[in-house]
Amino acid sequence: MISGKYLLRRLCYSGASFFVCITITFFLLHLMPGDYITNYLLSLSNTIPQAAVEQFRHQFGLDLPLTDQYVLYIVNILHGQWGYSYAYGLPVFPMITGKLCWSLILLLPATVLGILIGTVIGAWSGWKSGGKKDLAIFNVMIVIRAIPEFWWAIMAVMVFSFYLRWFPLGGYSSISVLTTGLSIPDVLYHAILPIALMTFFIATGNYYVMRNSMISVIGEDYITTARAKGLDERGILWRHALKNALLPMVTITTFQCAAIIMGNVFIETVFSWPGIGFLTTEALTMRDLPLLEGIFLLDSLLTIASMLLADILSSMIDPRIRMGNDE
Amino acid sequence: MSRKIILWGSVAVLCIYIGIALAAPLIAPLGPTAITGKPLQPPDNRHIFGTNNIGQDIFAQLVYGSRITLLFGFFSALFSVLISTGIGIVIGYYGGLVDEIVCRAIDIFMPIPMFPLLIVLTTFFSPGVIEVSLLMGILGSVYGIRIIRTQVLSLARTNFVEGARAIGASDFQIMYRHILPNVMPIVMVKFVSASQHLLVMGVGLSFIGLWDTSTIDWGTMIQNAYSQGGIALGLWWWILPPGIAVIGISLALAMIGYSFEEKFNPRVEVNRI
Repeated sequence: MISGKYLLRRLCYSGASFFVCITITFFLLHLMPGDYITNYLLSLSNTIPQAAVEQFRHQFGLDLPLTDQYVLYIVNILHGQWGYSYAYGLPVFPMITGKLCWSLILLLPATVLGILIGTVIGAWSGWKSGGKKDLAIFNVMIVIRAIPEFWWAIMAVMVFSFYLRWFPLGGYSSISVLTTGLSIPDVLYHAILPIALMTFFIATGNYYVMRNSMISVIGEDYITTARAKGLDERGILWRHALKNALLPMVTITTFQCAAIIMGNVFIETVFSWPGIGFLTTEALTMRDLPLLEGIFLLDSLLTIASMLLADILSSMIDPRIRMGNDE
Repeated sequence: MSRKIILWGSVAVLCIYIGIALAAPLIAPLGPTAITGKPLQPPDNRHIFGTNNIGQDIFAQLVYGSRITLLFGFFSALFSVLISTGIGIVIGYYGGLVDEIVCRAIDIFMPIPMFPLLIVLTTFFSPGVIEVSLLMGILGSVYGIRIIRTQVLSLARTNFVEGARAIGASDFQIMYRHILPNVMPIVMVKFVSASQHLLVMGVGLSFIGLWDTSTIDWGTMIQNAYSQGGIALGLWWWILPPGIAVIGISLALAMIGYSFEEKFNPRVEVNRI
């Protein structure tokens, strides 16, 4: 079982990581050329009276000393007040969390399917490692991974949407949404191609991890022992090899949940899917720093939390894993 | 045998790409920014790949675009490898308090997602290609420090290091003359795989709009062709060339990387037979 001391230490590190992220965003926002309030008000109206600027500066606490502002900033972040987007003039936090749902429509099925497919093929390929079929699959995977994600997406749009006309060119609903409202089958129809591509990518990523893990497990002594005992191959695979080889998959799975935001920025951009990835591209095009910082903070929060979870889970499953004793 | 052919083929491809990037003005005299024809012209003798939406020659853009794409990939890989090797050797060799501090700092920085941080930092600084690749190198080196450090930890306790110390070699001499050559194979493997990885990432970043619009590289070309209706109008000669160029270099680097890894890491060879 996991020790309290280890858990506490791990929690402290995660807290420190998020603290570093907040500090980075705070200082970037303050060092930015131009005043935050002026930039924000410019997004609402073209002419800003000086009095209004002063009023807002006071209201936002920008006339306080820098240290007080820093404390205020951290308190605000923890309360979910992540500032206002320049380009949209809206509060950042509700904006991002609203987009998160759209990203999840793609990510949940893609992650589950991708992990399943990747693990199965990877385990099989690792078990048969060195064989002709294994090498063939492995080389195909190298080629697949060497081609950028967005290029696969563009090619898919070109072939399946433009030439074959099986799927829509992009977006999340047909034009009929204006008269009939958002319908689930319509959204699903638009989501099929992006989900398929994401599944494809997540599966190839998992394939590597699972294959490597399988290969290192079948070289272990306990597999030789199991063979020497006279267990049949199927029994060795299911009872000894697979269980141990699945261990790194716990970490990978939690990581993939953390990649929710950035993992699909290319596919969402190519398909104009209104999730966080597409929002990132739009914010980047408009150089909307507060919005990008919000996305960065949410992403780091998710990544830090899932790394913590991965560490705790894997040290619960396998007591040999502990942080710090890497010497 | 066939593996050797693949390796040399990949090296040849890499050399061709670098040659094209260096000799860009000779290969593409039309220039990447000059408007040399009517918009959206299909391929002909003067414009091998036609022209884009404002009449610039796509072939010239492709040739000149290789400069930024390659520069970004190799420089960021170089920076990342230099930083991780330097810090990794020093902390692995000295150990003790320095090692402890750097390792704890890595523990803290490790979970911070690099990709969005890079986007935030570039939005803030709006830097040039070299500056972004330096940033990328710094952010990407965190992982490599640990790998080098683990190697150096065991190397620092070997007999030949003890011997060098006994005959009065200075710390710097030991690190440079005795430890560095021993970690060099890993560093090379890391460099090749990092340059493949970061080159593709750089094209991806410019695809989502990291550079300003005056920078021409393969990512912005693809982005331009895609967002200006290259697919919807069926203009395949606009969108395919930069994509195929990226695939070519990426595959070549990936193959070189795998061959290196096999050569320097005997375990992989055993595993793959």
